[in-house]
Amino acid sequence: MTIASFITVTCCLFLFGVFVIFSMNMNYIGKQLEQQCELQAYMYLETDEPQQRAVYEKVLQLDNVYDATLETERQAFENFKKQLGEDGDLLDGLEDKDFLRSSIKITLHDIRKSNDTKKAVEKISGIEKVENYQDTVGKVLSLTGAVNKGSTVGMIVLMIIAVFIIQNTIKLSVFAREKEIHIMKFVGATDRFIRTPFVIEGIMIGALGFIVSYAVILFSYTPAISTVKDLIKMFDFLPLQSCALQLGVMMALFGTMMGAIGSAVSIKRHLKV
Amino acid sequence: MIEFKEVTVVYDKDIVGLDNVSFKIEEGEFVFLVGKTGAGKSSAIKLLTGEIKPTSGDVIVDGIVVNRLKRRKIPYLRRAQGVVFQDFRLLPNKTVYENVAFAMEITGKKKKDIQRKVPKILSLVGLSERANNYPNEISGGEQQRVSIARALVNSPSLIIADEPTGNLDVETSAEVMNLFEEINKMGTTIVMVTHSEKIVNDMQKRVIQLENGVLVRDEENGVYNIGA
Ligand SMILES: Nc1ncnc2c1ncn2[C@@H]1O[C@H](COP(=O)(O)OP(=O)(O)OP(=O)(O)O)[C@@H](O)[C@H]1O
Ligand SMILES: [Mg+2]
Repeated sequence: MTIASFITVTCCLFLFGVFVIFSMNMNYIGKQLEQQCELQAYMYLETDEPQQRAVYEKVLQLDNVYDATLETERQAFENFKKQLGEDGDLLDGLEDKDFLRSSIKITLHDIRKSNDTKKAVEKISGIEKVENYQDTVGKVLSLTGAVNKGSTVGMIVLMIIAVFIIQNTIKLSVFAREKEIHIMKFVGATDRFIRTPFVIEGIMIGALGFIVSYAVILFSYTPAISTVKDLIKMFDFLPLQSCALQLGVMMALFGTMMGAIGSAVSIKRHLKV
Repeated sequence: MIEFKEVTVVYDKDIVGLDNVSFKIEEGEFVFLVGKTGAGKSSAIKLLTGEIKPTSGDVIVDGIVVNRLKRRKIPYLRRAQGVVFQDFRLLPNKTVYENVAFAMEITGKKKKDIQRKVPKILSLVGLSERANNYPNEISGGEQQRVSIARALVNSPSLIIADEPTGNLDVETSAEVMNLFEEINKMGTTIVMVTHSEKIVNDMQKRVIQLENGVLVRDEENGVYNIGA
């Protein structure tokens, strides 16, 4: 086994792991989006708090409404400030300006009936307009779907590269033992008997590559995620402990299977005696 | 028992290896396969071991049609045969003992059986003293005796030898041939390809002669005489 092939297999596995973790996080974000509010009803600026409460009670009584939260002007302001994070002090002194409205966030029993519910909410007096986030959520979800497809394609490409590399490594050691293989065949060795040591060698390459690349990912995941989170504050990312096991299993399987397949492929030709 | 039934072998580019060859070899016979270079002798042997398949006809060994055997059954066919080549084909990084034991390990024999059988076979071929030497430490004749020991160790009913004395001098050849004759006397069928006129004429065994893939002579107690 050459150092070069070990390094390439490790890199392949590392990239594979990154793809896996990426798509796990995409799915996680998708779920967060699905759970976010589905309708948001904005009230007229003129409404005061008791009126808003009354509207809120009415909304809660509608058929398809699962839950609703009232966000008053003041709360909306605080939330906005929080979302801006460090830049939140931009808003200082703007507390009394009426630029944010009170609204009700509504989640539904049945998302498919969201248009009917939207119309029903619009009829309640005091409501100015209702926004349906289904479209946005749908778009984001189809985006994560596309990204997932992309990373699946990436994984398949990596799989082919890894098999190719391992196959070439094994080919060298098969070549060195070609004479021995022929002799074994003449004495009556079964294909499996001859293949086994080479398959083990392939699995070892995969396993070593797995250990190194998995360790790199384990050590760099948390710092990487916190960097990304500084940039994108909207979403939560998977903590290491809730994805490490699944990632490890997938990478270990990927590495060892590629090793086994690669060596089985490269010895196949030599067994035809 | 071996039977060739109208066997024809055509290689790529229409090169004929064997042309409609038929013969039978009974249990316990000693048969020489002779003929000029390219006559088809090695092709006949490769058919017996299942290394190649006939283009038409059947090759039958102990009631098994070799050319219809599934690929994964071929190893079991070969365990019932012992094959000896001109170039010995020993593993250079294994000792004499290990080379012979190896043939038993492959078939999944118990360690105890291997330890009992290998010394017996080595003493039969007169190599007990050389058990721990490597192939490059012994003479060509001794190496060939190792490969004969390896061919014998799984107690085959058939020994196939393709020019086993091709790399040996006259004296050593005679020793090796004595060994084959002894093995044959114990009941093992032997099919041997040779280019040695002296060996064939000395041994007085059945001779099958091929010429351009065609069987041209098959006689008991035959002589070499393959013509100019
Ligand atoms: N794998 C092959 N592909 C193509 N032609 C082959 C192959 N093996 C043998 N032949 C041809 O088939 C014919 C018979 O070959 P074979 O090896 O059986 O001869 P042989 O009697 O063993 O000769 P020699 O005494 O030189 O060993 C020859 O013309 C040879 O060139
Ligand atoms: Mg030949």
